[in-house]
Amino acid sequence: MMADGSRPKSPEPARAPPDGPLAPAFPGGGTASLALSERVAARFFQLCAVLAALAAIAVAATLGSEAVLFFTEVSPVRFFSELAWTPLAEEPRFGVLPLIAATAQITAGAAVVAFPLGLLTAIYAEYYADPRVAGLLTVAVTVLAAVPTVVYGYVALNFVTPALRNIWPSIEAYNGISACLVVGVMILPTVALLSRGALKAVSPSLTDAGLALGASSARVLVRVVLPAASRGIAAALALALARAAGETMIVTLAAGNQARLTWSPLEGIRTLTAYIAQASMGDAASGTLEYRAFFAVAAVLFAITYAVNALGRWLAGGRR
Amino acid sequence: MKRFRHHGPVSAAGSVAASVTLATAMTLIAILLVQARGVLDFGFLLGTPSRFAAQAGIGPALAGTLWLTLLTAAIACPVGVGAAVYFEEYAPRTRTMLAIESAVANLAGVPPLVFGVAGLALFVRGLGLGSTVLAGGLTLAMLALPTVLVTSQEAIRQVPTGVRAAAYALGATRWEVIRRQVLPAAAPGIVTGLTLALARTAGAAAPLLVIGAASFITYAPGTPGDPLTALPTRVFAWSARSQPGFTALAAGAGVVLLALLLVLHLAGMALRRRLAGAAR
Repeated sequence: MMADGSRPKSPEPARAPPDGPLAPAFPGGGTASLALSERVAARFFQLCAVLAALAAIAVAATLGSEAVLFFTEVSPVRFFSELAWTPLAEEPRFGVLPLIAATAQITAGAAVVAFPLGLLTAIYAEYYADPRVAGLLTVAVTVLAAVPTVVYGYVALNFVTPALRNIWPSIEAYNGISACLVVGVMILPTVALLSRGALKAVSPSLTDAGLALGASSARVLVRVVLPAASRGIAAALALALARAAGETMIVTLAAGNQARLTWSPLEGIRTLTAYIAQASMGDAASGTLEYRAFFAVAAVLFAITYAVNALGRWLAGGRR
Repeated sequence: MKRFRHHGPVSAAGSVAASVTLATAMTLIAILLVQARGVLDFGFLLGTPSRFAAQAGIGPALAGTLWLTLLTAAIACPVGVGAAVYFEEYAPRTRTMLAIESAVANLAGVPPLVFGVAGLALFVRGLGLGSTVLAGGLTLAMLALPTVLVTSQEAIRQVPTGVRAAAYALGATRWEVIRRQVLPAAAPGIVTGLTLALARTAGAAAPLLVIGAASFITYAPGTPGDPLTALPTRVFAWSARSQPGFTALAAGAGVVLLALLLVLHLAGMALRRRLAGAAR
């Protein structure tokens, strides 16, 4: 990556342009003269691609169609403007804002924990640590990445919340802050691993040049390394945010299941994901409004995370 | 490599952050091991869930997770790697094709829970499979597929164009180039991606909860048609009960699950090393 963050133009296409200069010229031009193995292989790979595309379409179409059915009964205006989510009440109200607010709170809280910790850990491992210490840090981050989210949820509920009760005796058994802290730890590896990758891509000649001009290491990092790696780091942060917003087990176990708008991190809140997890365990019958409600919520979640993830991939320059 | 000298505010802040990261990982493992001590024995590994904490075990859940991982691998690995080969080596580079490609790839960041919701409508209700191991395997395969596809594409893209050009120049056909040059060279990267995807799905509780993984299955699933039960949902069920005995059981099941995932990672690393050696 260059200093200004733009990507150098590749001198050659990264993959063979099919039917371009690299594809072998077959006599007759068509594929009929190809050996059987060639045709079988081509068909197999094509079939795989079709299956993958079908799976993607099936996911989007399923969510979309049930959500559309939901919105024929509940107007989208009410869905996005009412302030109460009480699908099981006598007169059910479907205002998704409390759920979105809770998801935003958890995601923001997790970002406050994970962004500085993950980025500084990556900088330290890449530029300051002994090889042994850097190796140890890699192991620690890999372990944190391997821990299943349900295990994080267990720790949040049974250890983090009781520990926080020593600081705030009034904390509820289910609360936002415990979930924020633990979701932050859960996305820490995403931030640390991906931003370290972005740091690695910064050419050593840039840092050497900065140091040779007499700049301190901190100055080189802030003025040279971080600007050069900014797109990669931003991509890492976006992907981490998408993971935090979609995290289910930690918030279901630790943040509780009360859909309410509150600024207090000590009270229980209900995220988009926690609602889906709880509602689906209730065995709602197909075709009921209750069943369709969690497809509508899942569609909202899908849209949010898909957009954030697409942004992250675009920032990372993964698509050409 | 390009190490900076230790002084200044960034170095200090970095060492604090690194220490916190390290301490967090160690505390987490310590909590789990301390809680799970006294639970982990053969009776626990092979036993069945019980109302009495002292007699409870994870046998059916363990078998369920092994089944699910096998099914996921059997479906998502060939389809994902095959689709990656198609997109990188066969597909015409039209706008439509690139749009399809990135639409599938962006699914890699969609939460596992959402795949569970789709799986509920598609497999459990749509195909009428019910809450079975097969429905779980299909759902997890859909979850793993985008990750397998993206990582395999990255690995295939790393193979230098010159390798393909040289092989074609020697008269190799496209399938020969793929089979003898591209796939062997990309294999280590592909294996890393497969490991990542399988570990992610094996540890996923949310999609299985949605498609109705029952926590109180007292016999191990013997065929894909048997009722769905798995380790992550077992951890969830025990975590949600506040009695002290069950807290320890949740930790025990969590430790077994984490151990399983670490074994998967290590096996992936070993295989990657062998393949990297063979390609050289």
